[in-house]
Amino acid sequence: MKLFKQTPNFPFVRNRFIFLLMSGLIVATSLFLLFTRSLNWGTDFMGGVKLIYQFPKPVSDGEVRKLMETLSLGGVSVVRHGKPEERRLAIKVSKPSQETESLSKIITPALAKAYGETGLTLEQEVTVGPKVGQELRRKGMLAVFFSLFCMLAYIGFRFDFYFAPGAIVALFHDVIVTLGFFAFFQFEFDLTILAACLTITGYSINDTIIVFDRIREHSRLITPNTIDEVVNNGINETLSRTLITSLTVFFVVLILYLFGGATIKDFAFAMMIGVITGTYSTFSIACPVYLGMYRAAPRFEKMFRKNV
Amino acid sequence: METSWKWKFGSVFAFILLGLYALVPTLFHFPQIRQELEAQKKEGTEALLPWYFKFFPEKGINLGLDLQGGIYIELEVMVEEGLKAKMDILAQEIIRNLKERKQLEVESSAKDPAYQYLDFTFKTPEDSKAASEYLLKNYRNTLKREESLPGEKPAVRYFLSPQYLADLQKDVVSQAVQAVRNRIDRYGLAEPTVQRQGATRIVVELPGVKDPERAIKIIQQAGKLEFKLVKNDLTATKLGDMIAEARKTANLAVGYTAEDVQKLNDALADKLPKESEVAFDLTREAVTGKITQATPYLLERTVYVTGEMLKNAQVQFDQNSKPYVSLTFNSDGAKNFGDLTTAHVHELLAIMLDGNIASAPQIREPIRNGQCQITLGSSSSRDAMLREAKDLVLVLQEGALPARLKEATKTVIGPTLGADSIQKSIRSMLFGTLLVIIFMVIYYNLSGLLADAAVLINTIFIFALLAMFQATLTLPGMAGIVLTIGMAVDTNVLILERIREELAVGQHPRAAVESGYRHAMRAIIDSHLTVIISGIILYQYGTGPIRGFAVTLMIGLICNLFTAVTMTKMVYDYFIMVRKINRISI
Repeated sequence: MKLFKQTPNFPFVRNRFIFLLMSGLIVATSLFLLFTRSLNWGTDFMGGVKLIYQFPKPVSDGEVRKLMETLSLGGVSVVRHGKPEERRLAIKVSKPSQETESLSKIITPALAKAYGETGLTLEQEVTVGPKVGQELRRKGMLAVFFSLFCMLAYIGFRFDFYFAPGAIVALFHDVIVTLGFFAFFQFEFDLTILAACLTITGYSINDTIIVFDRIREHSRLITPNTIDEVVNNGINETLSRTLITSLTVFFVVLILYLFGGATIKDFAFAMMIGVITGTYSTFSIACPVYLGMYRAAPRFEKMFRKNV
Repeated sequence: METSWKWKFGSVFAFILLGLYALVPTLFHFPQIRQELEAQKKEGTEALLPWYFKFFPEKGINLGLDLQGGIYIELEVMVEEGLKAKMDILAQEIIRNLKERKQLEVESSAKDPAYQYLDFTFKTPEDSKAASEYLLKNYRNTLKREESLPGEKPAVRYFLSPQYLADLQKDVVSQAVQAVRNRIDRYGLAEPTVQRQGATRIVVELPGVKDPERAIKIIQQAGKLEFKLVKNDLTATKLGDMIAEARKTANLAVGYTAEDVQKLNDALADKLPKESEVAFDLTREAVTGKITQATPYLLERTVYVTGEMLKNAQVQFDQNSKPYVSLTFNSDGAKNFGDLTTAHVHELLAIMLDGNIASAPQIREPIRNGQCQITLGSSSSRDAMLREAKDLVLVLQEGALPARLKEATKTVIGPTLGADSIQKSIRSMLFGTLLVIIFMVIYYNLSGLLADAAVLINTIFIFALLAMFQATLTLPGMAGIVLTIGMAVDTNVLILERIREELAVGQHPRAAVESGYRHAMRAIIDSHLTVIISGIILYQYGTGPIRGFAVTLMIGLICNLFTAVTMTKMVYDYFIMVRKINRISI
């Protein structure tokens, strides 16, 4: 069985400006969302208290939210955790007005009074000091940026420096778009989602390298006149592997999203978006940026020489 | 089959068997069975384990807290508090040494609130000079610089050497780590980890703990036992009024932690009789632990007997079979306790635990045998009381913490939530993998089957290595595995597509396989190395969960190079060279 009877010849390179424009629009929208709505930072990063309860009978989050407001604890949010039939709610207190250690001791009896003691279980309790949350955010970001930098260096070393920026810009694109979705849906951004973002960068760089490798293979054919064709061929020749890999991974995460537990749902969601953008960004961003770099290089060189 | 092929296949099979062997305890829940059997066994006998247990590794894969439930807690050691205690000890030691060795009386001493210096005031300038000589000689490493202070009496300020201060700080933290470790070891949990993080933080992980609140209390309880005399200079109502007034004027919240009581005493300092302080006897509600009543007592400041003079602590039962904690002092403690109870018969003696009064019984008669008891008041049921008594005994036996531990962050996950999500997630991952397997066979025929085998073996290797290294599998770790499996599928697809391409231009299978692998290799190596490099960096600079991700990712990718490249190539080579096939099912 084969996806394409012959090596396909889709005009990726000719339409690159359309792709770039689309990607630019998506990234702009994502950035707009990130700045206006901002991420729904999880307790891991913001500090505060998060409690997950399983209730003896079905309850609505609004009901519990009202109950929590009467306790005047600070900024409280109540969201459903998992499917409705699991009867789980997550209660988050972002800036506790009380000593954090005692919050569950206030909330649990209040819930027990309203919904009955038997069957009400506190399943998860996360307390993060504000300093720790900040530290975690800073360290996480640092680790990610440093690893991006090292990827840049490696690609620069193994291929050449026209390639590297495209790959990294594509990575930023993927992560920004994923974060944009999280900002739009206001899903909680916690450590697991950070792990998902790392996974996405892994996929995306893998995908980009495969295509770059094809271009590198034909590097002897590259001249300013033929480069468009070489790049376009590179994308097309690897297209069937790109589609097969992306689709299989996409289906696995889709299944994980549909049937997986509540804790992994958001992770799977991030991965679904990441797999799509990771594949898409290779031909819509990484390759055009490479082309741009290649074209711009002689001009830069000239400028440099003139100045010397 | 030729011998070299036999060796090649043999070694691959050996690896797979080794991997499966390492996974047996995980797959068949050996550690859980072992724990259950050990919990059932009678005192003094060996647990009756099935005979085959001894042929397999003792431990399976460690599941992280997010998958198994348990506690993750980071504790900040309040180093200053420990420093204060250590400086008190140092000052006392200096005063004693001056008195014993040099017959010098120190009139008074004071310490810097920021722990930089100690001040000593002497009676005469000669004393001061002699003391300086002695101290700078004998405490060369501890005290750095001296400075005379203006005043009527000769007073000298000694600065502590920075090195000594740093050592003290380190001591406080490592003592705290040791104390926490001892307590947890005694508490008896499956896979506890206690680690120091940074300069002043302790990380405690207790996977699978059943009663998290109790465990946290055991870790955090300071365990400071002190015996002080109750003064009856003021009536209870008078004292109550004074406290209420002091709280009002100093704007203090009503609270009974060590900090709160300290603040209250500071506010009351000039109103109370000299050398005395206030402490509370707290009554708590049985279920919630809410404080319902706090009776203030006026105490003498002097500590007569401390927890360090304990020889033993035990749970015992009174005639109503109510549990209490019985204490036995060592010879110093017994002597102090005997002297105290002889000199103060009929007075009240406050037994203080962590700054609050546990009980304040009357001394009926001199107690010379060095024994005493603490009754427990707050819990309602006998079971709860017994638990409380046992925990207190544990804490007292393992010794006090050198400083308080403040929660910096805490995660408690109930076992059901973790189990629920892991079961569902694993089931759906298996389902997804099954679909991929079927797809690969449909799309690539027998070659797809080979690729499937490679991916499966890779998965076995990942889990086996996790089990062998006793690494912990967390949710981000599973994310790493998802990425790895994805890349493993990709590696195979890459190779197969390349072989197809080569076959399409009419190459002989043998040449097609050769050049397919050769061409695919470059891209495979580059993509693997890039991701591994980022994995190394994430491991190096990331925090806990990110590290879990990096570990599974790196293990998986390295295994993948073996399974997807070396192993599959070997199978193709075998069929092409030995079986001399002319067509590849691809």
